[in-house]
Amino acid sequence: MKTPTKTPLAALAAAILLSTLTIPAEAVDLTDASEIVNRTNTAQYYAANDGRALVRMKIVDAKGRSQRRQFAVLRRDVKDGGDQNYLVVFDQPADVRNTTFLVKKHANKDDDRWLYLPGLDLVKRIAASDERTSFVGTHFFYEDISGRHPTEDKHQLLETTGIEYVVKSTPKSTSGVEFAHYTLWINKKTFLPSKIEYVNPQGKVYRRIETVRVETVQGFPTITRLKVSDLDSGGYTLSDVTNVQYDLGIPDDIFVEASLRNPPQKWLR
Amino acid sequence: MKRKILDFPLQHARLVFIGLAVLTIGLGSAIPSIQVDTDPENMLSEDDPARVFHNETKEEFALHDLIVVGVVNEAEPEGVFNPESLARIHELNEQVKSIDGVIVRDVLGPSTMDNIEQAGPGAIRFEWLMERPPETPEEAIAIKEAALRLPMLRGTVVSDDGKSVALYVPIESKDQSHRISEEIQAVIDGFEVSADEFYITGLPVAEDTFGVEMFKQMAISAPVAALVILLLMWWFFRSFALVLSPMIVAMTTVTITMGSLIASGFTVHIMSSMIPIFLMPIAVVDSVHLLSEFVDIYPKHGDRKAAIKEVVGHLFAPMLYTSLTSAAGFLSLTLTPIPPVRVFGVFVALGIGLAFVLTILFIPAYVAVLPDKRLAALLSSKRDASEGGLLGRAVEAVGAKSLRYAKPILVLTVAVIAVSGYGISQIKINDNPVRWFKPSHRIRIADDVLNRELAGTYTAFLVMKQDIDAEHDIVAAGDEALADASDGVRSRWNALKADARAASEEGDTTVTDALIEATSDLAFDTTGEESQLWQNVQTALEGAQTRSKTFQNPDHLAYIERIQREAEELPLVGKTSSITDVVKTVYRELLSGEDKDYRIPATTEGVAQTLLQFQSSHRPNDLWHLVSPDYRESAIWMQLKSGDNQDMMAVKTNLDAFLAENPPPEGLRAEWAGLTYLNVVWQDEMVGGMLESLMGAFVIVFLMMVILFRSPTYGVLAMVPLTITIVFTYGLIGLIGKDYDMPVAVLSSLTLGLSVDFAIHFLERARSVQAETGDWKDTMALMFQEPGRAITRNAIVIAIGFLPLLGAPLVPYNTVGFLMAAIMAVSSIVTVMLLPAIMMQIQNRLSPRKERAPTGSGHAQIALATDKEQTT
Repeated sequence: MKTPTKTPLAALAAAILLSTLTIPAEAVDLTDASEIVNRTNTAQYYAANDGRALVRMKIVDAKGRSQRRQFAVLRRDVKDGGDQNYLVVFDQPADVRNTTFLVKKHANKDDDRWLYLPGLDLVKRIAASDERTSFVGTHFFYEDISGRHPTEDKHQLLETTGIEYVVKSTPKSTSGVEFAHYTLWINKKTFLPSKIEYVNPQGKVYRRIETVRVETVQGFPTITRLKVSDLDSGGYTLSDVTNVQYDLGIPDDIFVEASLRNPPQKWLR
Repeated sequence: MKRKILDFPLQHARLVFIGLAVLTIGLGSAIPSIQVDTDPENMLSEDDPARVFHNETKEEFALHDLIVVGVVNEAEPEGVFNPESLARIHELNEQVKSIDGVIVRDVLGPSTMDNIEQAGPGAIRFEWLMERPPETPEEAIAIKEAALRLPMLRGTVVSDDGKSVALYVPIESKDQSHRISEEIQAVIDGFEVSADEFYITGLPVAEDTFGVEMFKQMAISAPVAALVILLLMWWFFRSFALVLSPMIVAMTTVTITMGSLIASGFTVHIMSSMIPIFLMPIAVVDSVHLLSEFVDIYPKHGDRKAAIKEVVGHLFAPMLYTSLTSAAGFLSLTLTPIPPVRVFGVFVALGIGLAFVLTILFIPAYVAVLPDKRLAALLSSKRDASEGGLLGRAVEAVGAKSLRYAKPILVLTVAVIAVSGYGISQIKINDNPVRWFKPSHRIRIADDVLNRELAGTYTAFLVMKQDIDAEHDIVAAGDEALADASDGVRSRWNALKADARAASEEGDTTVTDALIEATSDLAFDTTGEESQLWQNVQTALEGAQTRSKTFQNPDHLAYIERIQREAEELPLVGKTSSITDVVKTVYRELLSGEDKDYRIPATTEGVAQTLLQFQSSHRPNDLWHLVSPDYRESAIWMQLKSGDNQDMMAVKTNLDAFLAENPPPEGLRAEWAGLTYLNVVWQDEMVGGMLESLMGAFVIVFLMMVILFRSPTYGVLAMVPLTITIVFTYGLIGLIGKDYDMPVAVLSSLTLGLSVDFAIHFLERARSVQAETGDWKDTMALMFQEPGRAITRNAIVIAIGFLPLLGAPLVPYNTVGFLMAAIMAVSSIVTVMLLPAIMMQIQNRLSPRKERAPTGSGHAQIALATDKEQTT
């Protein structure tokens, strides 16, 4: 289905309407791929000003053997679509309990990342590298968790269907990425991606992220079940998000190195 | 009955030809659907425990067969660590990723591996070791230095001296490795000429390439041998038309046998690829006996049908018996536990039977329809050859000498046996598929260079396994925590357990995880004492779960480290890798990056958290090649510099002894896997099996000889040439230091079958001649005429006919060629020289007390009797 040509005014009106996210986007389709991707970025990673969730990940390999990771996440946005802070505290498996990550995500430079390992009583800064390393052994990359900045790719709107935008994103620099490009299927109402497929330089889809479940929490459509599949190896990771709460008023001063050793229990419970 | 058999081909020559043509074309048409199998793994049956465990290990640790591509640069001071060479290596790595059948995610090389290192004080960095080729020499050296700091890479991807690099290319299936190695070679050939030298090796490449070359050899060696045999026979018999017939017998025998093997759905293994080469001499031998006698008798008769009938009548029994004994020798191979050897044995035996049938049906029919002028030429030219000629005079002279020097010959024989016996005691049982190529072959060269430069291209795995059921222990810990709880709580707990089992059966989770989650929820949802109780249960479950992770336990990691240290003491173990190395490396970088911190963390939690960091790299799954995700199984990867079975055996023996003296903690069990190890297993079975089958065949052949000659004395005599031939051949192998490998082992059965041939013909004829002459001295003189010539001709035809095999680029073919010549030479010499000497010594025991009267028909003794009557 082709996007009908709209007057600039109509497009603007639609954009204003859509930005509230509570009103169905029935009126006008967007045509600017970058704008779509920016909104997706905001919808997926910047809902409300702060938030808390409990995440359970099940890692399943090609042979069906599974492992589990469970952690609590605290987030506070410094600026929508821009800087934000994360605190991730592990609970399961028990042998990594209280392993903590602190991330200060920056829009225009490398993130600052810290790590605390209670078993070694060790705080370590993780120096910048590319962000496509595994997130604690799951099939998610660090970048899938923290969000890839929209300006790192060129976006092209391939198709607009009744319910979705299909956007092809091609990295501006091949350095630090293993894909040639990826395609997003973005829900027109929620601006959450329903599916992302990564294509390698050989032209093969080798990795897929699927949104399995979306729930609306405090008015924010929220992905509560996400599946990432490694199509090469046949393994996948399922991520379940529960206990989601937004706008708790989490203060900025808990996102500091001191919280690594002593996580702010008040906000985690 | 026999008369009918003899008459049939003469009366129905056309039918014989058509039948043979139909059979040959019919079964021969199956040959194009040939399935070659060069996988030595198949030397073990599918359900062999060692093979099953090997494949379980591969599955469990996601291990694949590896092609090793080494890059060496002797010209540059820093070896390949210069921008240009690394650019080529990087390019090669990128290109390899697009080759079909390569498991891209597991390719090991500087471009695909992670570096973990200090990034300033208190900081750690994970990054690709070489995401893109370096631009300056300094950057190149930095890559080298980083790689040398990583124990997983040092010696494996980067040589210890920091000059060479290797890529390890895992492949989906071994039978693709030749094609993939060719494609890799094509990429390399596309590079501009430089001082970089690329080498490709690895067991799967050697095995698969062998298959390809073997296929070529089947199309070259066997036909060349056939051609040489044809020319030699032509020289002996002076009639091309005549000698064409044994060739037709040999070719059709080979075609029909191979055709039926392939049509029956068997793959052509290294063993069965040699069937043509084994069948050819056997098929020719009978015909040469026939023709040899035919050319002697025909001129006297003038009637070719009568002549050939007489000859076949003469030789029917000895040919039947030689065929039966040869077949028995090969059938004895079915006693071995090795499937390809059994298939080989059965089909060679079938081929021998077929060759016999074809010889007595086809050759007479062929002779019957030959144009007269072809045979007329034979009449005139043949006289000289049969009376004397160089060969005839030589055989006669040797015969005379052997009678005069009977005693010295016997003494010499005893001496030869004694020396051979010593030789046999020196035999080294050893095999290595890479050594199936000549030293000049590029795979052998690559093997030499890479095993000199790197830690070793041969792999074996020592797998440590925890057998106790973890789940049971964990649930029991929960039970214990609730031992004093109220009935209500206990029944709740039982319900939780039932739910957890149901959930785990659905595949959603494990019993342990479900219970931990449920108790955690209950602790949260309940209050007061009950909440505390559920929290205690959760803690107990988690404690048991943590304890169940055997290979996160520092003590167990330390034990693995001890085994590794022990293994690395052995000269042929270039390197070992295990989960302990991973833990120590990451721990070192988490702490200071200094050597003093290259150690195992003190607690299980410390290990778990160290490993969690490793899993935050680009290649988290590399961990699962060394340990299972439940941490209850781990594999020590051993890189050996030699794939010789003996060397692998030495490693196993040493480490098994270490394990016995230093038993693993807490019911851990160690087992071996890996291709290099599997080769040892089947070889053990093969050697034992071969010895058994040789013994079995020896006894059967002896019994057959006693029955054939109706005399134990003759039976023993018939065994003399083959016994001496086997003892001599294997003594020679021991003395010259040639390894007793697969082809050598299988040749024993051929030796048995072929050596007894000459003895049967010789003894049988000698006895009937003696019955005529009544005197052994006269008999022997006559024996050195036509019968001696027939044997010698045969021996020469086959010995020389197989010399072309020495030119093959594959060592097993050379071995067969050499041994075949040796077997022929020794068994014919022993038959012609030693048998007469012995017989002269014991002539009183040999002379029959009375003439045996021929009775009945269609039996062996009839043939012997007929023989007697017809000998002039």
